[in-house]
Amino acid sequence: MSRGPGFRVDVLEGARIALFSLRANRLRTVLTTMGIGIGVATLLAIVGIIQGLNTSFHRQLASFGANTLYVSKFPWMIKGDWWKYRNRKNFTLDQVARLRTLAPFITAMSPSVSRLSDVSYGGEQMSTVRIQGVNHEYLSISGFDVTAGRFLTEADEEVTRPVAVLGADVADRLFPGISPVGRSIRVDNRTFQVVGTLSRKGKVVNESMDLLVLIPFKTFFSSFGKGRSFEIAMAVEDAGQVRAAEDQLIGILRRIRGTPPGEPDDFNINKPEAMAQTYAQLTGALYGVAVGVGLITLLVGGIGIMNIMLVSVRERTREIGVRRALGARKRTIVFQFLMEAASVSAVGGLLGTTVGLGTAKVVSLITPLAADVQMTTVMGGVFFAALVGLLFGIWPAARAANLDPVEALRYE
Amino acid sequence: MSHASGEGRLIQVEDITRVFHVGGEEVRALRGVSFGISRGEWVAIIGQSGSGKSTMMNVLGCLDTPTSGRYMLNGKDVSRMTDDELAVIRNEEIGFIFQTFQLLPRETALANVELPLVYRGIPARQRRERAKAALDKVQLTHRMHHRPNELSGGQRQRVAIARALVAEPSMLLADEPTGNLDSATGEEIVRLFEQLHQAGHTLVLVTHEPKLAARCPRAIRLSDGQLVADGPGRDVALGVGAGAAVGGA
Repeated sequence: MSRGPGFRVDVLEGARIALFSLRANRLRTVLTTMGIGIGVATLLAIVGIIQGLNTSFHRQLASFGANTLYVSKFPWMIKGDWWKYRNRKNFTLDQVARLRTLAPFITAMSPSVSRLSDVSYGGEQMSTVRIQGVNHEYLSISGFDVTAGRFLTEADEEVTRPVAVLGADVADRLFPGISPVGRSIRVDNRTFQVVGTLSRKGKVVNESMDLLVLIPFKTFFSSFGKGRSFEIAMAVEDAGQVRAAEDQLIGILRRIRGTPPGEPDDFNINKPEAMAQTYAQLTGALYGVAVGVGLITLLVGGIGIMNIMLVSVRERTREIGVRRALGARKRTIVFQFLMEAASVSAVGGLLGTTVGLGTAKVVSLITPLAADVQMTTVMGGVFFAALVGLLFGIWPAARAANLDPVEALRYE
Repeated sequence: MSHASGEGRLIQVEDITRVFHVGGEEVRALRGVSFGISRGEWVAIIGQSGSGKSTMMNVLGCLDTPTSGRYMLNGKDVSRMTDDELAVIRNEEIGFIFQTFQLLPRETALANVELPLVYRGIPARQRRERAKAALDKVQLTHRMHHRPNELSGGQRQRVAIARALVAEPSMLLADEPTGNLDSATGEEIVRLFEQLHQAGHTLVLVTHEPKLAARCPRAIRLSDGQLVADGPGRDVALGVGAGAAVGGA
């Protein structure tokens, strides 16, 4: 039909009638809007908190260094039989030295061993502090900076000096307001001289990265006993080389440890990135459920919209008949009701977005969870709400349009 | 038969039937009705309830399509048109006037009158001017910003007539237009129809009231789904004059 008024009229008139009708039924509009709003708010709050968790996890994971690898006889996340890993041969310093010469692509390498000990200075005492034995190269692998004094040196290692570099938590607790450098602390009844302090890294999954004392690796062994299992921390030039380095390392490590061909590796190469995968596996199902709950809330809101639209269509049956008699096409009627449904939902979406963001913000203030809502999520929320409105508006709108004009005009 | 060529006639229905299926039963509301109406005529369609006059009115108004037969309106065969095409025809060719007025309760008189122009895609300012002019024809410009519930029955029907006139359709189709009005107000509306007829409008009036039909220059009587009389309004309505019989003249 070339002479028909066309799409522009459908949309403009649809929007005008929709707004008119929403204003005419304020209370109903508000209630319907709340339904969809609560749905969007729930979904947004959940997604916001999840995104916050993920972001902080990944940011903190990155503080381990994306270009680092950790070789050990234990994997970081043990699945299955711990004894299988326990019975593997320990790494030796000799193996570390051989690895150093065979793997020139490793830019920094340090053996690393740790235990939890009590640490004290004067009257101050701290328990369960991680005491970690490492060499002078560990600084560049760890991602720490030295804030005062110096880091461990090759000489410290050679002559097994009883020196220590303090993590920020330890320095703050034992030496409030004074410089720890040059002072002596006690670690499990052994004396260490503080030579430096480290920058603060913060928390990873609620565990402080700064509650530690670094001492020379050999000093650790002579102080707390040899024959312990240790891991080898190493860094490559940049994160892009990690995969290639890993492949080469497997071959080199098998040679060094004399693993017969056909036997499985008797070591694990641990990466912060692999931890992220495990984290994603562990939390993915949980997130799925949470998002599912949010979606169900939204679905309930959508059914509310559909319900109210069906009422609206019934109430306005005669109006529909009149409009059809005066020349409204089916399409025009469909648009009228779809616009109504979509605008209620979009308003609800906007409302829900505000409430959802607020909730996520409040959660991040009163709990350690860091909410982080991205712009795409907000836009998604409003868009999604309007989409739900459209979707649940289709059936009522189609019913309205398919009314027989003769019957509709007669409707009491 | 008497029907000369339909050419030039505004309305030409030929052998129209309309069959409804109600609960597995066939109801033949119209069984082969033929007649023509020329431009400028004022014709009443009368009959008792169940005579098929409401069905005839729905078919003439393009709200319903015949089961068989042909309906030519203003040179167009509307008996086989699609739903969308019929909507356009209703908008352009027909001005409806209903017994219960059928005004939108939440809109003002002016907005109600504008409605047919909205669906014709006419810009808002032009719409407003034309709606005011139509309300002027029924002497209601002073009430144009009132809602229907603030108007009397007669005023509401005049708004409805203005709405029927505004898009300048080929014919006005009125369904018991005085049915919901007291006799004095009804008389007012009939006078208005007389004026419209004198101004050259084509009027088709569906009614069961012989007194009303008697005032029309021509009337068609339907009974049991068939045309049983067609002639001067007075004769057909009051059942006198052999010339009124079908196939006569």
